[in-house]
Amino acid sequence: MKNRVWIIVLSLSVLICAVCWLYISNLSPLSQIVGIYQNGTLVEKIDLNSVTGKREITLSGEYGKNTVLVSNGHIMMKSAECPDKLCVKHGELKNGGSPIVCLPNRIVIKFEDTSYSADAKTGALR
Amino acid sequence: MAAAVLCCSACNFNSRYDSEFFAMDTIMTITAYGSKSESAVKTAENEINRLDTLFSVQNKDSEIYKLNRDKSIVVSADTLAVLSRAKEFYVLTEGAFDITTEPLTRLWGFYSGLENRVPSKEELDNALKTVGAEHIKIDSSNITLDENTSIDLGGVAKGYASAIAAQTLNDNGVSSAIISLGGNVRALGSKPDGSDWSVAIADPDDNSKQIGTLAVSDAAVVTSGGYQRYFEENGQIYHHIIDTETGYPAKSGLKSVTIVSEDDTLADALSTALFVMGLEKSSKLYCENSTLFGAVFVTDKNEVYITDNIKNSFSSQHDFEVIKT
Ligand SMILES: [Zn+2]
Repeated sequence: MKNRVWIIVLSLSVLICAVCWLYISNLSPLSQIVGIYQNGTLVEKIDLNSVTGKREITLSGEYGKNTVLVSNGHIMMKSAECPDKLCVKHGELKNGGSPIVCLPNRIVIKFEDTSYSADAKTGALR
Repeated sequence: MAAAVLCCSACNFNSRYDSEFFAMDTIMTITAYGSKSESAVKTAENEINRLDTLFSVQNKDSEIYKLNRDKSIVVSADTLAVLSRAKEFYVLTEGAFDITTEPLTRLWGFYSGLENRVPSKEELDNALKTVGAEHIKIDSSNITLDENTSIDLGGVAKGYASAIAAQTLNDNGVSSAIISLGGNVRALGSKPDGSDWSVAIADPDDNSKQIGTLAVSDAAVVTSGGYQRYFEENGQIYHHIIDTETGYPAKSGLKSVTIVSEDDTLADALSTALFVMGLEKSSKLYCENSTLFGAVFVTDKNEVYITDNIKNSFSSQHDFEVIKT
């Protein structure tokens, strides 16, 4: 009888550990989920790890079209008709860095989880 | 079971409201805690937008646009307050902080809609004649500029706005919030659990990395660096922080300067000014004003210097030197 209690306790704790481990190991590889926003509204969420091949997403705003290029693990503004082209000059989106921002067309492309653990980052935007 | 309990206590903790919006030619975020956070954040956002329409150098309806065009106007209390503070910082930094740089910034093409280019020596010399705070006359709320002088509040507007935003949140029942106005960070109070906010400083060589973090409560943290906006011509890099002595981008041996202060407007202005002044002059200014601000410098050789009044709140994997008073 005592043995049975011990077996239950042991197997329960093994189960809890396994669940915890699964949970933590799922979280720990850096999340590669990117959100594309326009005028503050989510246009699309993309997991960069699950992208195969190349894909282009076209958005249009007050100052013309923006073309976002997505490939496995990478996202960038390929071209834009906005006057300053700062969104194209930004290059690839890096986790922990500044989001890709097109001010004229009100577009923001950013990681949904940043890799830095701080509450804020100074100097990271223009 | 333990995990579930932990989870609940974490979620229930305090209601949190996040906002992201565009203003002052950049992207802004406010995260506030407490039951009144949503309405308080919306009020703060409105305040920032109101200031944006007063201070913008490009918006044809702004007071600054009208002042630059007409050279003499009566301004609102907020514009007067910013102009007065700008003059105060001009004196404090012996001219390194200057809002009359509009003609220079225009020549270098650092306004949206303009093409970046390297101006001729003659163009710069001509523009330099209009530069300097002595070309601004403040007579109660009546502001007059000398002919050809134009101003740009880019070096103080976000600082002033973050002070007003923090005040507005506080007046509307929020005692814990973190604000980022395009990388100008302001911590209101401490975190909901009572600990300090942790603010990372971007690595000037790769802003997805960081040179260290500062633990702060009730303070502004502002970084200026040549890496934030620049263009390349014939293999040369020209950044946006103009030295009013020469008319050229400042070459002071620094990659970035970060200022920590309870005074947001001062932090904003000094981050630019100390970048122009360089490490040696900045250290002297610090020694004479160590109650006003703390600073972190990254030099061209990637050395990190920090003032002794904030060294205990700084953590970094880099070696760093301490600047003593
Ligand atoms: Zn753009």
